[in-house]
Formats: sequence, C-alpha cells, structure tokens
Amino acid sequence: MNESKPGLTITSIALLVILFLQLPVIVVVLAAFSTTSYLTIPPQGLTLKWFAKVLSDPVYLDAIRISLMLAVGSTAISLVLGVAAAYALFKRMLPGTEALTSFLMAPLILPSVVIGVALLQYYSLIGWRGSFAALLLAHVIITVPYIVRSALASLAGVDTSVEEAARVLGANGFTAFRLVTLPLIKPGLVAGALFAFVTSMENVPVTIFVASAKQTTLPILIFSSVEMGVDPSIAAVSTLLIVATVFVLWLAERWTGFHRFI
Amino acid sequence: MSSLKLDHLSKHYGEAVIVRDLSLEIANGEFVSLLGPSGCGKTTVLRMVAGLIAPTGGKITIGEREITVLPPNKRRIGLVFQSYALFPHLTVFENVAFGLRRQGVKGVELEKRVKDALALVRLDAFGDRYPRQMSGGQQQRVAMARAIAPRPDVLLFDEPLSNLDAKLRDEMQIELKRLQRELGITTLFVTHDQAEALSLSDRVCVMAHGNIEQFAVPEDIYHRPATAFVASFIGKPNRLPGKVASRNGAGGTVEIGCGLTLNADRLDVAAGGEVELFLRQEAIELRTTPAEAPANSIPGTVQLRSFSGAHVQYVVRIGAGTEIVVEAPSSGAASNLEKDASVFLAVAPANVFALAAKGARS
Amino acid sequence: MSNWKAGVLLFGPLALLLFGVFLVPVLLLAPTSFHEYSPGVGIVANSWTLENYARIVTDDYYREVVWRTLYLGLGVTVSCLLLGYPVAYLIVRGPARLRLPLTLLVIFPLMLNLVVRSFGWIALLSNRGLVNNFLIQTGLIGAPLKLMFNLTGLMIGMTHIYLPFMVLMLVAALQNVPRDVEAAAATLGSSRTHVFTSVTLPLTAPGIISGSILVFVLTISALVTPRMLGGPTYKVMATLIYDEYMQLLDWPSGSALSFSLTVIAIAIIWASSRITKCWAGMA
Repeated sequence: MNESKPGLTITSIALLVILFLQLPVIVVVLAAFSTTSYLTIPPQGLTLKWFAKVLSDPVYLDAIRISLMLAVGSTAISLVLGVAAAYALFKRMLPGTEALTSFLMAPLILPSVVIGVALLQYYSLIGWRGSFAALLLAHVIITVPYIVRSALASLAGVDTSVEEAARVLGANGFTAFRLVTLPLIKPGLVAGALFAFVTSMENVPVTIFVASAKQTTLPILIFSSVEMGVDPSIAAVSTLLIVATVFVLWLAERWTGFHRFI
Repeated sequence: MSSLKLDHLSKHYGEAVIVRDLSLEIANGEFVSLLGPSGCGKTTVLRMVAGLIAPTGGKITIGEREITVLPPNKRRIGLVFQSYALFPHLTVFENVAFGLRRQGVKGVELEKRVKDALALVRLDAFGDRYPRQMSGGQQQRVAMARAIAPRPDVLLFDEPLSNLDAKLRDEMQIELKRLQRELGITTLFVTHDQAEALSLSDRVCVMAHGNIEQFAVPEDIYHRPATAFVASFIGKPNRLPGKVASRNGAGGTVEIGCGLTLNADRLDVAAGGEVELFLRQEAIELRTTPAEAPANSIPGTVQLRSFSGAHVQYVVRIGAGTEIVVEAPSSGAASNLEKDASVFLAVAPANVFALAAKGARS
Repeated sequence: MSNWKAGVLLFGPLALLLFGVFLVPVLLLAPTSFHEYSPGVGIVANSWTLENYARIVTDDYYREVVWRTLYLGLGVTVSCLLLGYPVAYLIVRGPARLRLPLTLLVIFPLMLNLVVRSFGWIALLSNRGLVNNFLIQTGLIGAPLKLMFNLTGLMIGMTHIYLPFMVLMLVAALQNVPRDVEAAAATLGSSRTHVFTSVTLPLTAPGIISGSILVFVLTISALVTPRMLGGPTYKVMATLIYDEYMQLLDWPSGSALSFSLTVIAIAIIWASSRITKCWAGMA
C-alpha cells in the first residue's frame, strides 16, 4: 500500500521548509566568524575576534551571568513549587481540581507583554522594582506552567498502585514519592525543566518591564543592541547561545530520550 | 504472625454505602477468601485493611494491635496487587529489598533475606532483571516475593491471578497455596473467581452489596449455601422464573409453568410470591426413566449435546420452551444421548434454591 | 481528613505566589485603564474615563495597529499551516529513520533563543543584509529591496518563529489518523488526492484548528520579533503597549490596550474550545 506515502513534491517542499527553519541559525553562525561587519556570500574571511570581544566585555559577561542566575533559579523554584502543586492536583487532595489547574496555566494564556506591564505597575506600586528577587519571582510565574503541565502529564502515566505498594512496604508518604513516583516521572520533568529553563533564558516581554538597568539579561542586551544596527559581536554571543542550546538538547536527549515528551 | 479482626467495619461515600457494618475474624495462619461479584465491596475491605482507604466506622485489629487509623507503612502487612505494581525502575532484587530497607535491614542480612524470598518463588537467578524483562507469571511471583520478604503479620491479595491466562492461573494457584501453607501467614484473598476461592481457602466469605452473605468452609459454601444469593452465585446455575404454589414447613412447591412444579427444601417466599429458581447444571441428573420421590422429576427433550472432555453438556427443553443446561460426567450413563431423545431431569429438593423475584441479585 | 491539609501544604505556596505576583497585578491594571492621562503630569487622580478604550475603536492610528495585528496573525497562521503540513506529513508518513532527525530539526529552532532567531532574520533581511547583498551582487536588482520594517519582514520572521508549534500540532494530529482508514478509502477506488481531501484532511481538522489558534494567539501577543523586525515605527498591538509604557509613559492608554489584547486572545481560545467541543460531541 503506497497510497499514503509522501511523494517527491511533498518531500521536496518539506525539506525546503526545514531548511528555511535553520536559515537564521546558519546566518548567525556565519556572521559570527565573518571578518566584515555585514554579511556577504561567500564570507570575506574567517575570524574569532568577535568571540574574543564578547568574552572580554564585562557588559556581555554580566548579562550572561544574570541570565543564567535567573534561569537556574526560576527553574529550580518552579520545579519544587510546580511538582508539589501538580502532585496535590493529581491526587485530588483539594476540591475543584479543574479550576485550580486552569489557574496554574493562566500565565501561559495571557500575552506575556500584559504580564510584563502588570508587574511593572505592581512592582512600582509596592516598591519592588529593581529587586532581583522580584525579577526572579516574575520568571517563576512564566516558567511554572511548563513544569506543572509536564508533571501532570507524567503523573497521569504512573500506575497509582505502585506508590501504594511502596506505602504498604513501609515507606511514608514522602519516601514513597521520593523513591518511586519521582524516578518514574523524572524524564517528563527533565523535558519540562528544559522548557522552563529555555523560557526564562529567552524571555524579553516580562523582563524588559521589570528589570532595572543593572539587571540586563542576555536577550534584553541583544534586543536593545539591534536598534543600533547589526553588530557581529551580537552574532558571536548568539552563536555561543546556539552551541549551548545544542549541548543542552543533546545532554537531555542522552539522559532521558526526552523527545518522546514533546 | 497474628489473627486479623474486622469489627463493625463500614465505608460510606456520601449516600452510597460500599461496606455495611462488616465483622470478620481470621485466625492466625488461616487463608480466607473474600468472594463476590464486582462492586460488592470486597476490594474496599481489603484496601481498608491495607490502610489505603479510611473506614467510615468500625475497628481493624491485627493480633492485639489496633491498626484502624495507622498509615499503611506502620501496619506490617504484605499486599499483592492485581496489576502487581512492581517498581519498573528497580531491579527484581531491589523490588524485593524495598520493604526490608524500610525496616533498616542492611548488608549481608538484606542480601540473604532477598535471596530467600526469591528462592521461595523459584526466581533465584532473576535478581538483576527489570520487571519489564519478565513474563506475567514471573512478575506475579516477584510481587509475591516482595510482599513476603519483610515477614508481614498479614498477607493481602487483590485478585492477583486475574491477569494471567487460564493455564498459568492454575499453576500459580497451586504455588500460592503451597507458599501460604509453608509460611503460615494469615491471609486475606480477594477474588471474583469462585473456583479460585474454593480451592485455595480454609474459609470463604461470600459478599454482596457490602454485606457478608456466608462465611464458611468451602464445602459448606458449595453444598449448603446459607442464602439464595450464595446459591445463585456459586456453581453454574440455570435461572428460571416461578411462583410459589404452596408452603410445607421450611420448604414448599414452586410452579414453573406448563403444569410443571418443583419441590424445594427451603423457601423464603410466601405462597403466591414470584421467585427466581436456581438449578445448578452439575446438580441435575439426566435419566431415561422418571426419578422417584422425593426427587423432582421433569420430562424434557435433548436439544443439543456438547462434549468438553471431562463433561458433556446438554441443552434440554422442558415445558413449552424453557431450556435447561445440564452437565453430566462424560464417563457416566447419560453421556451419549442423541438429539430429540426423551429424558427426565432429576433434582433433589435440597438443590433447588429460590430467590424472591427482582430481589437482591448481582 | 489529613489529605486536605497535605493538599493545602503542597498547593498553597504556588497558589499564593500566583495570587500575589500574577493575579493581583493583572487585576490592578483594570482601574488604571479607566484613568485619565495628561502628558507631563501623568495619571490624573480621581479621574474616570472610557476614553482609553474609545480611542482604540475610533482613533485611525490605533485602529490601523489593531487591524494590522489581526491581519498579521491571520497571515502568519495561514502560511504556517501551508508550510507546516508537508513537513508534518513527511515526519509522520515518511521513512522511519528520518523521523527523529527531522523532528529534532523542527524542535531545534524552537528551543533556540527568540532574540537570536529574530537577529538572524535582521542579518538576512536588512538593507545591507544577506538577501539584498546577494541579489545586488548577482545583478538581479539595482537598489536594495525593502524587506524589513514592513509587513513582509514581519510575516517572514514570525512564520519562521511559530512554524515549529504548528508542525508539532499537525504531527500529533496525523499520528492519530489510522492508516487503515486511508487504505480503506484507497481500496474503494479513491485517488491519492481524493484520499487526502476526503479522509486525511477532515480527520486532522482538530489538529489544524488547535495549531492555528495557538499560532494566531502567539502572533498577536508577540513583542520581540515585531519590535526587532518592525522597528520603532511599524507597530503592532504589543509593541504599541511597549511604547505607551516605556516611551510615552501613558500607562492608562497602555493598560487599556493590554486588556483589549487579552480579551481578544482569551475570546479566541474560548471560542475555539467551544467549537472543538461541539465537534467532539458530533463524533
């Protein structure tokens, strides 16, 4: 039965579209190694000077540090709070599970820019503007839905009697969760945490309203630099981000085979 | 090792009563089955004993310890789940070691006790495997080893054999019985399979609608059902509608149409009441001549014969069109009747059970 | 029962956080949107007005931005659908060994920083960008084409950004189409095209709808790509909100726009879930 196999036309279109998806990545990497400040095909010459410039520039290094601190911190907090809340929802410990789930997912539905301006006004009102903790909490708000969603999906795949078996065999509630349920939902949580990390790492619409000038994250730095034109050092720092992304994806895939959870 | 005592145990969900004021005592080392149709409350009872559901009322005691409000991890029970509930991320060894580790057993002692438990279920060589690498029957045995390794006071089984195919189920039944006798652990076994309950248990507790219908040794459950429900649930009964014609002491006579009547030794319905009759296939004798009183004797015609090895099943038509299934031993006199043969059904009045029509039934 | 207590302990911290740092801030936007703003003074206290909302419907400039936003959303959705379907089809129905690499190539841009992707498009589309340079070098055009700061640039960039979401949705939908049904249609004499239009397409309709809704809502809410590829002059609702807050400091007007954007997004999500439910009821 050959009828439902993609033909040559479909296959070529699909491959072209997939090439289109990779196009900006290729261009950014080329620009980062190019000697000229604008791009040509073929590149005029190859150089590593833009990388050297980025890695010795305290502005870029600070931005990278702040971005990593925010991403690691918000992912960790989201994991703890999100998994705990998802577990309570999954076990139907509270009435109105459906409504509570929608509440946790609400930050995904609202346009980020709206959350951003809401927090700008709120933080100004209560005097939290410029505080790193406030920025971190804002990132928890936008990352936690990914954790809750992946935790709920993973928990739904776990046979409830497995945890009961652990309880009967002498484990208290927390031990049973730690030794049995947690290892079983780990692959899903890794995928969720990865999404959360990436979301925090690339966020502009919320961060730009909440962060002070001293809290410039990497995406904010790139976002505001391009208004002054295409600078190859932006391409270099972007390339570093691309390499980091590939590495993290590869690590996660090796660790859990997470592509099954996307 | 200890006895298990359930004292006026009940479970309500709002208006719905799942278990009603149930009392049961299982002696030390005894094997008791809870037998009943799905929804009769047997699994709820087991889960209350395990501490996975909190009872609405009543008391649960193991030996001298009252455990009614204890969390499951403090009850010292072993539980074998219907789905086995093995830990998929742990090896067989670690599965069995799980309960022992919770008791603080370590090192050589741990190793020895896990090995012993695995040897009991004849899986000594499988410690390094993961559950998914094993067959259903092997997983079942791991689940048993895991439950017995911590030496629980009471062992609970929740339909443990229902996921196995028929042949394996028979083997596991024998294995389970051998193991329980060997260890002498007080056991509560939940099942909807009457053959399983009758063959495994010291005593069987038949449940319906959250109540105990009968709690007795298997022979009594089969031959002397205490209630009409037990009679209708145990064995392979034919069901026929009837009407009580007259009462005679504890028993009476029931009309089943076309002028046919059946005498029953026991009848709980007044004269004129509608009843449903239960005649077990294997309790009916097929004869070519009428049976003598006090046995009931009903004429009929063979419609169908079906040979199944140890037995021959006949579909016999009586009266205007009622069909009765009869199971005869294939070595007996009535093993080779042709279609359309005229026969008589002989049933002792003690084997005629009646239940008020539209009354409580599965 | 202690179950309830455990539930509060587990759920409480996150609920409290969302209440304090999400729900209350968003609700506090509402009063602001009804205040008057006067340039140089700021928010006029004790002034209540519907002007901020009225302006969105009556003012030509605001109307243009709103229509542009919706138009862009529609355009990006349609092009994502047209480009995404062949990719999803190849992933699901193509050779099994291509499946993982193709899926990873679709997911990879998604995991990549949004700012980086948008920057890549600037490097491609700007006046001295790769595309224009290439076309001028080869002599195909004399002066650079205007590919940025207009609808073309936004369409290209945002189609690229949201295409992976559409592909993943369509892959999920296609996987749920039983091969036997297509085979049955084929054995009944349908041509390949007819099998596709009469069986495959209707069966993937729920995926098409949910993918389209997702892309549409993401597009109209997007700030980063429109700002980077549209610049400070070619505005959509999100970038207008950004300017109202950060440049003009007209918070009342910005919050009114924010609420309008939220209402549009939620209305579309709500309507689509109603439609999907009706469909599920019919099936």
